Parts: sequence; C-alpha cells; structure tokens
Amino acid sequence: MTGSGERPAVLVYRHRGAPSRALHEICAGAEEEGVPTEVVDAPDGGDVIALAHAAALASRLDVGIGVDVSGAAAVHHGKLPERNPAATAGPDASPADWRRAGRIGARVVKGLPLTEGPRP
Amino acid sequence: MGGPGPAGPPGRLVVGVDIGNSTTEACLASIGPDGSVSYLGTDLTRTTGVKGTPDNTAGALTAIRGTLARSGRRAGEVRTVLLNEATPVISGLAMETITETIITESTMIGHNPTTPGGEGLGVGTTRSIDELGEQSPGERVVCVVPHGWDFDDVAAAVDAAGRSGVEVVAAILAGDDAVLVTNRLVRPIPVVDEVAAVEKVPLGMLAAVEVAAPGRTIRTLSNSYGLATVFGLDPAQTRQVSPVARALTGNRSAVVVRTPTGDVTDRRIPVGELVLRGAGKTLRVDVDAGAEAIMDVVGRAQPLDDAHGEPGTHVGGMLAQVRDTMADVMDLPGQPAVPVSEIAIRDVLAVDTFVPSEVRGGLAGEVALENAVALAAMVRTSRSRMQLVADLVSEGLGAAAEIGGVEGEMAVGGALTTPGVDRPVAVLDLGGGSTDAALLTREGECTAVHVAGAGELVTKLIDSELALGDREVAESVKWFPLAKVESFFHIRHEDGTVQFFDDPLPPHAYARVVVLTPDGPAPVGTRHGLDHVRRVRREAKRRVFVVNALRALRQVAPGGNLRALEFVVLLGGSALDFEIPDMIADALAPHGIVCGTGNVLGTEGPRNAVAAGLVRAYAAGPARAVQDATT
Repeated sequence: MTGSGERPAVLVYRHRGAPSRALHEICAGAEEEGVPTEVVDAPDGGDVIALAHAAALASRLDVGIGVDVSGAAAVHHGKLPERNPAATAGPDASPADWRRAGRIGARVVKGLPLTEGPRP
Repeated sequence: MGGPGPAGPPGRLVVGVDIGNSTTEACLASIGPDGSVSYLGTDLTRTTGVKGTPDNTAGALTAIRGTLARSGRRAGEVRTVLLNEATPVISGLAMETITETIITESTMIGHNPTTPGGEGLGVGTTRSIDELGEQSPGERVVCVVPHGWDFDDVAAAVDAAGRSGVEVVAAILAGDDAVLVTNRLVRPIPVVDEVAAVEKVPLGMLAAVEVAAPGRTIRTLSNSYGLATVFGLDPAQTRQVSPVARALTGNRSAVVVRTPTGDVTDRRIPVGELVLRGAGKTLRVDVDAGAEAIMDVVGRAQPLDDAHGEPGTHVGGMLAQVRDTMADVMDLPGQPAVPVSEIAIRDVLAVDTFVPSEVRGGLAGEVALENAVALAAMVRTSRSRMQLVADLVSEGLGAAAEIGGVEGEMAVGGALTTPGVDRPVAVLDLGGGSTDAALLTREGECTAVHVAGAGELVTKLIDSELALGDREVAESVKWFPLAKVESFFHIRHEDGTVQFFDDPLPPHAYARVVVLTPDGPAPVGTRHGLDHVRRVRREAKRRVFVVNALRALRQVAPGGNLRALEFVVLLGGSALDFEIPDMIADALAPHGIVCGTGNVLGTEGPRNAVAAGLVRAYAAGPARAVQDATT
C-alpha cells in the first residue's frame, strides 16, 4: 500500500479487479460533497468491511471505503468497531448505490446526516 | 383492637377513583371516627374505554384492586368507592391553511440543493444542452440539462460551446451533479442542481441563475431591485416580481426565468366566517384575520353559548367535522344517536401557525411556509353515565360505590394536600383536550371553568410546523429534551452539555437532531437544526398552555383579577412536562402568584388530586356524619 494518509482524504481501498465504474461513482459521490478521496490498491484477503475499516484507520480523516471484486462496498469510520460499518452496499450494488456510498463517506467527514431526511 | 383489617388503624376504608381521559387513578384511605383521614396508598392505570362510559368499569376495578393489594387490604373491607362526576367536556381540533404560494409558467426555482456548484450570477437565454451546438457565437446561454447526462459529458459540452464562441453563463441540472460539473469546467459558472422537473423549465427565455459562496445567501435575485436590474423592469413590473424576491430570501441558490405572464403569487385563501353566539350577542369574524382577531371576538362573546362556521366555507366544514367527531365519541351502541344539535361548542382557542407545504407549480419540490389557523373547540354535553359505572363497580367489587363529587371541586380539594398550599387556591389541570381551572375561595366557594386546547393541540402544532407527518414523533418531540448527535460516540444536549456513550450510536442517528426517549436517542426526521426544533416546541407550548392558563384563571379569578389569586397549583399529565410548569410560573410571577406543580399528599406529584379530593370531601361531608352515626 502506498500513498495512504499523506493528505487529508477519504481513503478508498480496492481489491484487485474491483469494477472501475464503482470507483468512479464512489469518488464522484464524495467530490460532489466537496471531500477529497484517494484510491489505494489493497492486498487480497479480508472482506469488504475489514477493508473499509483498514482504510478508515489509515485515513487522516478517519473515514475509509472498501470495494471488492464483486462491487460490494462498505463505508467505515476509524473509531467504530470493525464489524459496525457506517454503511454497506451489497454485490448487487447499482451505480446510484456506489455514488451514495461516496456521499455517505463524505458526510461522515462533514458531520452531516448520512441519509437525507424529509424536506423542512 | 378488633378492627376489620390485619394492618393499620381502625376506621372506615374508602377508595377515591378518578376516571380521566387517559388514566384512572385510585386513592385508598381510612377515615377515623373523628373524620380524620389516613391515606394508605394510591394506584394508577390506563382508562378503559371513553371517559364516562360503562367501559370504564374494568380500569376502575384494576386501579381499586391495585391500591388494595399494595396496602395489604381486601375488597371486603371497603366501606365505599367514590367516583368523580366526569366533566362533560370533550374537545376537537381542526387546522386550515389560509395562504397559498403558486408559481405560474415555471418562473422560479427557489429550492436549496445541499450542494450547488460555482458561485456568482449568470444571466442568459435558457437552452437545452442538446442544442448548444446550434447557438450563434456571442450569445449568452443558461444551459438546461435533463436527467441521464453524465457530469463529464456536461462539462465537455459546455467547454465545447465556449470554444465556438457561445458563452454558457450558468446551468440548471436535473441530477445532483453541480459540484462535479463545475470542477471540470475550464471556466466555472454558477450551477443549480436537483431540479426534479427540469423538463418544465421554459426554453428560449431570459433567465438568471445565482449561487452564493458557502455560508452566504443570494443577494441579487432576492432583491426586488436586483431583479429589476437583471431583467430591465419598469416600476409596475418590479412591483409584480417582488413576491419572487421575497420567496427567494435566505436561499443559497436560485433561478428566475422571465416569461411573458409568469408570476409567483401569494394568495390568501378565503376560509369563511366564524359565527360566535354568547352574552346575548351574535358576533362574526373572518378566520383568515388570524388568531388574535378571533380570540378578541371570542372574548367579547363570553360566556359562549355556541359557535358555528359559515355553511359552505372551510370553517363551516371544520366546525361541522369537530361536531360530528364528538357526536361519534358520545354515541354508544344500543343507545339513540346523539343529535348533532345537542352538541354546543362552548369555547374556541385559535392559534396562528404555519404549515410547510409544497409550492404549486414548483419545479424542484420547493416548500413555502403557508400561514394557517388551528382551532381547538370544546363541547359540553348533558350525557354522563358515571352513575352506571358506579353501579357496575359496586357489582364487580362487592362493595358500595357512589358518585363522590364533581371533578373540578375535587381537584382543588386534592391540591390542598400539597405542602405549602392554602386557600384561596386555584388549580390548573393541564390535560389532553382541555385546560381546566378551579378556584376555592377562603370562604370555601368553588368555581370551575374549562377552556379548549391542551396537550393534543401542542402535539398537532409541533407535527405540522415541523412537517413531521407522524403524531408519535411529534409526541416525543413534545415530551423529551433534544440533543444533537455530534459523533458516533457523543451527543450535545440542548443546554450544551456533552454526553458520551460506550457503544456507538446507530448510523441513522449520526449528525441528527434526536429526542432523548427512555429507550435512547431517537432521530427526528427534519432538516432543521436543533435550535429551530426547540423554538417550535416551546412556542407551541406557550401559545397553548400559557395562553390558556391566563385565559382560564381570569375566568375564575374574582373580578377577572389575577392579583386576587394567591396559590396556583398545576395538575394533570402536562404538569409533568419538563418545561410547561416553568413557562406558566414565569407568566404568573408578575401577578404576585405562588405557582408550582402540585405534590398531592406530599408524595404523588401532580397525580391523584381528584381521587384524594374525593376521599377528603367524603370525610368532611356533613351528610356522611349523619349516615355514619346511624350505621
């Protein structure tokens, strides 16, 4: 792993072969919220939640996202217990789900509600 | 000693039972030969059935048996059970919106997307992104992007247009892509996104798009003269667009499209007249005149005999609905239906409120705060079937049962068992449907009044003003203090105190405003901040309970003079609220009144006043002495 934690960013750990569309959407979701991301190649092994947790621990913003080869994703905060991610998207995740995962990661950083409430 | 019971002093055992709208309370006491009262225990259970109906029997028996069991007594020892004569008062609520905002010809997009892009003001002609290539060089264009466009492609198309001399000055997007598009442009422009009905934006029209810097609000489109400058309007036209400017105040981004007859109107909805009959007069008031005008007229028609709404108008429908609901509540199976004409509305409380509602003609789900009037109406009926309940209780328990007194008087008697209270004393019973006041003078005279509006109305105001759409959530906002979840492990209470948790808070509560229920923090489904939710909650309580406390006490105070009252004791479910008693005490303090939450028998808090009062009245009753002498 290289480049992790050098500048404040949400770290996105991807397994080898993770769909590039997933990475594209996740990074777009965070960018729309104005939070930088950094994609890092992670070694194989471990599920997507463990991956996200490792990313969160390495991130200077305490927030990480993991993506595996199936496109499943998890969003994590470094202070949360490893098995309690902030959000997950299954292997059947759509581009909208990936975009949402990126947005949730950014919103954890910004201290905003993770899902939109009803309009005021 | 030869007493009937295994424990306690010899004496006659009596049980006072108060059947309320939501709870049934019982108070067990032993009356000594000299009329002295020893209170032995109390119990509380949920009222079964509608107050004043035979269904109440089950709950009454549960409470009686509960207090007997707690005191180690048997039903066979009970001399008599004393029931309250229920105040024949029930109440209903209605709310009517009196303003409406309508956008015609899709002239305005005034929503607040969470993440607009770029900043500044762009003025140009609206064109679809598909036809950017067809524009002539030198034209200034506001680019409209429908659903399905990728942000990379949008940025590329805008840059390409720029290279061919078409100046794209702003963009309106359907999706949530504004920042992504702006970040990819060679020359950033203001972009408003999340415009759901973007296909309705009129094309080929002059439009202005404004996005303010983060933390700021728009300055030009929310200013009537800014609009006049942008669109070159004359004074008459400026007057016409001023509602647009007003509607956009406080937004971070906005779009205004200049169409031939497009408009934003702020219409008052005629809702009809309220007709109040009382004090030998018949008075009329327009409901859209607002709560203050209505309450002024209600005050002049005191005591109110009845209230009607003008037939065929909103208010007519509103009061008819209240009346019908009450007829339904009073109807009992196997009994002739209660004639609606028998139901007289004896008090009305009007409260100004606002209802966030979606703007008609809006393109992005814009919400406007519309003015509304909430009405609580109170009905008196001649029907009470408490004697039947007493008979059924007697049968079920195997002991005598009778009506021991009228609610208001009994409540004052019970309140007098609060340490530090003396005559003249007034009680305020803060209930669910009505706020009741009773006064006991130094000479022992008692007067009682009931005014419309109490806890239910507070819940309804909170529900509609925060657009919660969920009565249970509104109820919890009313009952519990607020906090903001600041991290997965800590919350900040509304007074600023920080509290940490060992286990992480659930993600759906993260960064949200929560109510601190006994089961833990529960998120409130609103985008408003904690301060706003708190203000809505306190204002709802003030407009109902503080207003009604003053209204009810003025009606029982000698000469309507609050200074003539000395002690005011707060009773009822809402006296357990964490802030209502303080708000009322603050409002009464300038009148030199001692006001606080009751502590019946020195132990029961604001509960059990009527039940304790029934026992007290029984012990003091002259009729009782005669009867007891003969037994």
